[in-house]
Amino acid sequence: MLSETARKSKEIIQQNKTPLRIMEVCGTHTHEIFRLGIRNILPESVKLISGPGCPVCVTPENFIDEALFLAKEKKCIIGTFGDLVRVPGSGMSLEKARAQGAEIAVLYSPLDAVTLAEKNPDKEIVFLSVGFETTTPAHCLAVIHAKKKNLKNFSILTANKIMDNVYETLKDSTDVYLYPGHVSVITGTGIYDSLKEKNISGVVAGFTAEEILNAVATAILKFKEGKPFSENAYTSVVKKEGNPAARKIVADTMDICTSTWRGLGEIKDSGLKLNDAFAEFDARKKFCIPEIPYRKNPACRCGEILQGKISPVECPCFGTVCTPRNPVGACMVSSEGTCSAFYKYGALTK
Amino acid sequence: MIMCVGLSAKIKKIENGMALVDADGAQREVSVELLPDIEPGDYIMVHAGIGIAKIENTEDVTDAQ
Repeated sequence: MLSETARKSKEIIQQNKTPLRIMEVCGTHTHEIFRLGIRNILPESVKLISGPGCPVCVTPENFIDEALFLAKEKKCIIGTFGDLVRVPGSGMSLEKARAQGAEIAVLYSPLDAVTLAEKNPDKEIVFLSVGFETTTPAHCLAVIHAKKKNLKNFSILTANKIMDNVYETLKDSTDVYLYPGHVSVITGTGIYDSLKEKNISGVVAGFTAEEILNAVATAILKFKEGKPFSENAYTSVVKKEGNPAARKIVADTMDICTSTWRGLGEIKDSGLKLNDAFAEFDARKKFCIPEIPYRKNPACRCGEILQGKISPVECPCFGTVCTPRNPVGACMVSSEGTCSAFYKYGALTK
Repeated sequence: MIMCVGLSAKIKKIENGMALVDADGAQREVSVELLPDIEPGDYIMVHAGIGIAKIENTEDVTDAQ
């Protein structure tokens, strides 16, 4: 049953005749939009594109290879979020390594990895530090806790990403972004005001049906005005100032660096690594991980899917050799991934 | 245990930067070090084991992810 607000938003959306491309860059948005059936009510004029919103999906293959090196060669316990376990590296996944005896601990929080290190003083614990602005503060907090506890057997393997430059990199693929709600909780909306000055428009969206419909309707109405815009349609938790305490611990702990995005390649100033003050917790330095070249599976078209250039159904692997049970690309592995959503809700896609 | 999901939870008690929270009956401890102005009874957004925001309009908490 739609609320009055949601009904009004739906009406605005369905009456729209102006061609408009909207890109969401949040894995949870991808899935909620499918799950709630929102794609089904969109008119022909509105094209919804799923961009690089899932941190697992944009993590390159060689990151998994590095984790495998630590698990197999250095006998570390790898702590990780569950959705990374089945991502294929260039050789195998962490799940397959676990079947061969590697110790892989699926954890809810990086802070749980610190506890694991305390309980296993004779083991090295490495947590896979993957995520966007929303997740990075938790990794930084874990490192700060480990330092305070003087833990010598805890470190993190960083592949943290920041979104700022990606909006500019992909600006020609969309007319309006649906900005990610929980990233915006941390960053605040100031960044979007800056993007507006560069002719990049977007609306911060929440995750309920009403919030998503409201954000899409706002995008349509503002786009028709013909000027760049920055709107917040998730005001219950997203504030202009964001979460300054979260941003401070990230700034105190990490430095911005160039980062490789699966499918997109290297993007300047789009990643984070531990700074010199916390170098002892950097698994790459601690274990002298050899440089592992980035090799992509030539059959997988996740890169084009992440840029909104093709739909998953246009990839020859999709639904044939690449399924959730036997994923080829990261977009199919993570339940937040675009291919996973298209596969799961395939009958509803348009 | 996937990374991106955020969930709303009600604070039951706070001690030493950690809070016991209740999310639809499931209780666990989360860090609230990054939220300066919260108290028991408040709703917060939890992500990867830490509180990242106070939820201002509690009628919005239903199935926010």
